[in-house]
Amino acid sequence: MDEPLFQLPHLASMTLFAFFVSLVFTFLTKYGWKARAKYFLWCFFVFLAVGIGLGWLMYPFPR
Amino acid sequence: MGEAETTTSEVKAASRAGGALRGWLLGLLGWLVPGLGHLVLRKYDRAIVFFVSVTAMAGLGLGMGAKLYGPVIDRSQGAFVTLLHTLGFIGDLGVVLYYTLAKLAGMGEHYLPRASGDYGTVFFLCAGLLNLLTALDAYDIAVGKKE
Repeated sequence: MDEPLFQLPHLASMTLFAFFVSLVFTFLTKYGWKARAKYFLWCFFVFLAVGIGLGWLMYPFPR
Repeated sequence: MGEAETTTSEVKAASRAGGALRGWLLGLLGWLVPGLGHLVLRKYDRAIVFFVSVTAMAGLGLGMGAKLYGPVIDRSQGAFVTLLHTLGFIGDLGVVLYYTLAKLAGMGEHYLPRASGDYGTVFFLCAGLLNLLTALDAYDIAVGKKE
């Protein structure tokens, strides 16, 4: 296969990645739906914030 | 009295050995099929979440054109690249079922020089690493280290 079946935008890829990894981390480490919801949201948004933050930090550098 | 204590300690040792064997078996099941170890342990919520998440990440990775690492035979590119490829191979083997199916289907043979392919490679690799964590979790639950 020389061509991908589909291509996702950068932000969509990062969001999906953050969503699934946060979900697995949450169910590995937390018990109870309230604690899980809280940890999932925290983990998900930290993933996104760090990703976008690193993207901005790398912006001035040439490819 | 002494004989009774010996018998009790022997029973405990046998129980621990049985628990460890069960732990290894359930960890192995979880490694082979994501979430299966938790399903056998009747942790249904975790089994579903792990199966869906790991399968989705591996599927997205393959769809985006992931490069699947194989065992390193050619070492002409140097020790560092060999190490990276070996680590990638170990990570990919974390989802051994999807890795085998993808290889049989002829997927992941070529490196795609575009962002999508890089994302795909990382998605598949992380699916493998997450599945290794879930398999260890199944082991921990089976031997009584976790709920």
